[in-house]
Amino acid sequence: MPQLDSITRNLMLDSLNEYAKRKLPYDFIREKDRENECPVDILREMYDPEVLGIHLISIPREYGGIGGGTTDLYRICELLAKIDLGVATSVFATYLGIDPINVGGTEEQKKKWLGRIAEKRLMVAYGATEPDAGSDLVNLKTKAEHVVRDGKIIGYRITGLKQWISNGGIADLYTILAMAPGGPSWFVVERDTEGFTPAHHEDKHGIRLSNTAGLSLDSVYVPADNLIGSVEGQGLLQAQAVFGYTRLMVAAFGLGCGWSALETAVRYSQQRIQSGGPLSEKQGYTHKLMVPHAVNLEAARAYIEYVAQRLDSGEHGLATEGAIAKYWSTESGNRAAEDSIQALGGYGYTKDFPVEKIKRDVKITCIYEGTNEIMEMTIYRGRWQEHLKTRGSYYLNMADELDELSKKNTDCGMSVAAMGLRALSAVMEECRLNKLTRHQHVTFVLGRLISMAEHSYIFSKAASAERYSESVKFDKPTYKAMARVFAKNAALEVAIRGSSLVLGAVDKATNLAEKINLAAIEKEQYGIISDMDLISKSLCQVFKAR
Amino acid sequence: MGIEVLNNCIGCSKCVGSCPFEAISMSNKKAVIDLTKCTLCGACVQVCPVKAIVISREMVKRDLSAYRDVWVFVEFADDADIKKQGEIKKVSFELLSKGRFLADKLNQKLCAVVLTDKNRDYEKILSEYGADRVYLLENDEYLPYDTDIYSASIMSLINKYKPSIFLFGATYKGRDLAPRMAANLYVGLTADCTDLNINNDGLLVQSRPAFGGNIMADILSPNSRPQMATVRPNVMKIVKVLPKAVEVIKEDIRIDKNIRRVKVVQRHKEEEKGYTKIENADIIVSGGRGLKSKEKFEILNELAKLLNASVGASRAAVDSGFIDKKHQVGQSGTTVRPRLYLAFGISGAVQHLVGMKNSDVIVAINKDPNAMIFSVSKYAIIGDAHDIAKKLIEKIKSAKAVA
Amino acid sequence: MNIFVCIKQVPDTTEVKINPETGTLIRAGVPSILNPYDHFAVVNALKIKKSNPDAVVNVISMGPPQAKAVIQMALALGCDNGYLLSDAAFAGSDTWATAYALSSAIKKIGKYDIIICGMQAIDGDTAQVGPQIASQLNIPQVTFADNVEIENKKALIKRHIDDGYDTIESPLPVLVTMVMPKDYELPFPSFVNITKALSKPFFTYTADDIMAKKEYLGLKGSPTQVNRIYPPQREVKTTVINTTSVEAVDKIIEILKQENFIK
Repeated sequence: MPQLDSITRNLMLDSLNEYAKRKLPYDFIREKDRENECPVDILREMYDPEVLGIHLISIPREYGGIGGGTTDLYRICELLAKIDLGVATSVFATYLGIDPINVGGTEEQKKKWLGRIAEKRLMVAYGATEPDAGSDLVNLKTKAEHVVRDGKIIGYRITGLKQWISNGGIADLYTILAMAPGGPSWFVVERDTEGFTPAHHEDKHGIRLSNTAGLSLDSVYVPADNLIGSVEGQGLLQAQAVFGYTRLMVAAFGLGCGWSALETAVRYSQQRIQSGGPLSEKQGYTHKLMVPHAVNLEAARAYIEYVAQRLDSGEHGLATEGAIAKYWSTESGNRAAEDSIQALGGYGYTKDFPVEKIKRDVKITCIYEGTNEIMEMTIYRGRWQEHLKTRGSYYLNMADELDELSKKNTDCGMSVAAMGLRALSAVMEECRLNKLTRHQHVTFVLGRLISMAEHSYIFSKAASAERYSESVKFDKPTYKAMARVFAKNAALEVAIRGSSLVLGAVDKATNLAEKINLAAIEKEQYGIISDMDLISKSLCQVFKAR
Repeated sequence: MGIEVLNNCIGCSKCVGSCPFEAISMSNKKAVIDLTKCTLCGACVQVCPVKAIVISREMVKRDLSAYRDVWVFVEFADDADIKKQGEIKKVSFELLSKGRFLADKLNQKLCAVVLTDKNRDYEKILSEYGADRVYLLENDEYLPYDTDIYSASIMSLINKYKPSIFLFGATYKGRDLAPRMAANLYVGLTADCTDLNINNDGLLVQSRPAFGGNIMADILSPNSRPQMATVRPNVMKIVKVLPKAVEVIKEDIRIDKNIRRVKVVQRHKEEEKGYTKIENADIIVSGGRGLKSKEKFEILNELAKLLNASVGASRAAVDSGFIDKKHQVGQSGTTVRPRLYLAFGISGAVQHLVGMKNSDVIVAINKDPNAMIFSVSKYAIIGDAHDIAKKLIEKIKSAKAVA
Repeated sequence: MNIFVCIKQVPDTTEVKINPETGTLIRAGVPSILNPYDHFAVVNALKIKKSNPDAVVNVISMGPPQAKAVIQMALALGCDNGYLLSDAAFAGSDTWATAYALSSAIKKIGKYDIIICGMQAIDGDTAQVGPQIASQLNIPQVTFADNVEIENKKALIKRHIDDGYDTIESPLPVLVTMVMPKDYELPFPSFVNITKALSKPFFTYTADDIMAKKEYLGLKGSPTQVNRIYPPQREVKTTVINTTSVEAVDKIIEILKQENFIK
């Protein structure tokens, strides 16, 4: 779906923000977090079309929704995560639950189910995960057996256990993945169906406002019409078709949580006086606990927007790009939250400030929708194919492009980002020559390095744009400084980790060092301190003390 | 500027009666305006049912040198009875005090403009605050206040006597009347000024806060006269002068009742609750979030009673529910200028400071040595606000007991 | 019945900060919002529409193209038609020139029975544009109202006065400026209504479109000029007292005596 116009999107964000200010203040969230309670009434109210109608954004217009694009959904998800990741997860569960119908449903099924979800404000849950099938859905145990009458399949009886289902205990409608005789398939199951029982609400580390429960299906009967797509065996394809998009939404969660924690830290740093001055004026504090996270998160944002734009312009899939976005954004968000506790010192460790809750919440983004280790593997697999297919020129082409662009844009970190990409290409080629990808460790680390190098490629291009995206809160000099700092960090890490990765597995000397050209990358590091000074100052201006 | 009667005049003659200066007559069933008498006050434009009278306001090169003197609009408090004149409001004395300073700098006269049902020796008190001259307009129609009647009367006065500067209180009435007239006269008007001065070119420099008090701007109206400004109450210092002779110019302005278009059906005044309101208080004991709780905040009531003071509060304290909003001092509350402002546990956000920094003496008590409030305080006391308030009460009580 | 609401897009002044070195406003990261008083004016206009179903609510704003956002907001809240006055000729207008442009546009658009404005915009705090529009249209004005109703072709208005309020009756057309009752929670539009607003009539007008004379617009047409912008200065010599609370209290008593507040 193409994205909405910017004014419409921003009005929606404003309304959501306003709603949260009134109905979801921190004290309320803190109480619910303590009590491990899902605020069902608030969630229901958010679906009311006269209040927000938040579920409608993921339902196409022809079925009674609003039909937002990926860009719109990412912004909504980012804001939801800033409000509370538990609430965000619950709303996202409905979006996710709708997806199999959206992607695989027949026209009649879409009309029927999407229409009902839109109109009746149904809360939906996505039932894929099982005790023995998490990121790996191949071990699916839930079975769907034919119910035959007069030689015709009239329905299915579904039996099995689902685990850690968001909205599991409170949804009105469930999309359930089960093994049918023809293979994994999605079924629509209504809450009050006989034999269907949600289990208790889990006692979780974080996102405690999100209802998470197991589901028990004991010979649950559904009519044949409830088989999504009306053909068996399409389940995994239907699930995978939206990986690019769903991972991007989790990336948005990491971004929202990370910024939310970091904003608290930045504001706090201007009020807390230590040895004669505010913390915000001390490099030892800002350049360790604030600036690197701001840089990482803005790189993540640039990449998320790049993928969202591609999906909105009609591309499909983009599972590898989704994985790159999810991996970097959630890793960065998690670390930003961790350091925000540190930034607030003793206060950060108490529940009087929201950062410790954010830290507990954001951790889930590294786990759900595919753990970040699965992401490392996915990223490696996707890009290894490209490396082989292009005979090693995949990243060299990107580097050439940046070198060309850097003639006009000298201040966006493009040339050092290009060095990083060349180093990455050299490392991958060396791995190929020495068959190093037989070591799983090598492949996972490559996943990380790929993610960083590609982020530096996209970020430096975003910083050179004539006009920045509406979501960028920083002025041009600051944003460019961020892109430079990120590109320098990324190139250095690719070069050093890359060469140590190779040298850790092979003992013969090659000309890898020459190709990586660490010395050149090191030379490019100059200026990082003054850039960080600028970013630090800018952060305090944008997120001033309250 | 000019006035003309368009061809669509229907000859109803409503305008004839509306003109305060008998400048309109009928000829061949059309209105004719005697330009030697017309003051361009606009009263006729308001009553014309077919909009046939047009005043054009072109900012032609006006002869600015003809404009002299500093005028102050004298505002009366609203009485519960709409036909009864209230007291002169304090802001008018503030304006006269500042006006005196401006008039002296320009070597011009300070004039007070009084619209009232009848004079009650107002010139005496006005001269105590520096007025050289009082323009006195007496008419029963001046009660209750009406935008159209006041603006028509005052505009004719302006057109006749040509003041160089005209000041109004930034009150409900001042902010209703001044823009109405400024629009009609096509002259510059600056809202809610917190300082006024005269620059080297003899122009009125009008200083005012903007962006919620985050920034100050100096505004000039170089090409139009009078230079009009509304001035925030409780900002200018009141200065009394030695009594001297004051000239009273009575203007007889006829008022057509028909130009009163809006009607006050009913007036509702809140009862006085027995304490001085913060905008008029001599001493304010004010508290912020540093007092921690509603219960602890209440100690200020006791202290205020002992000092015969009013209780103020920061926005943070009001937002936290420590006290009612009408006690709020600052940009979104009330601007105050007491002789003494005692601030307990107020950190001093910009929006609070703009509302109290002109107090004569500010004493602030705060735990944080870097609290912004100290930047405007004469005395900065570092310590626990509640504890000090408590001990202060005890001390004053024991001193009184001894006395 | 034709209702006009004049609105403005403003920076959220609670988020504005000054660059201490240059004394200029830092606009980066400061969100733009519908001026809250204008937002309340919209609410009141919609309330009038509710009891007068034939009423049409026109919302009008002067500003750069981005100001369309606040018009869309008003349409999403339920207003019927949106008008944006956007032209380089308007840039730099003071309250007089702004009122001239808005009143010219209102005249051009057509019949008006009531014009509702917010009392003031939170960026300028002048409260002048409303009365100046009324003056230029030669219609009565009632300022600082917190409620307006229309009954029998007359406006009933609750207007603030010092320590109380007046109930006012005014013929139509009238211009009313509105001040919010304290703690009023302004409504926000739902996602559905935001999308519905996209199909409502919206027009952008230039100075020529509203037949405004350029010499009355912008800097040239503005009788006031901004001469200087600077951060609020504070010049107080502060005496710091950092001691025990008992001694601090003695010191306060001493100050009170010294400044003649107590004997």
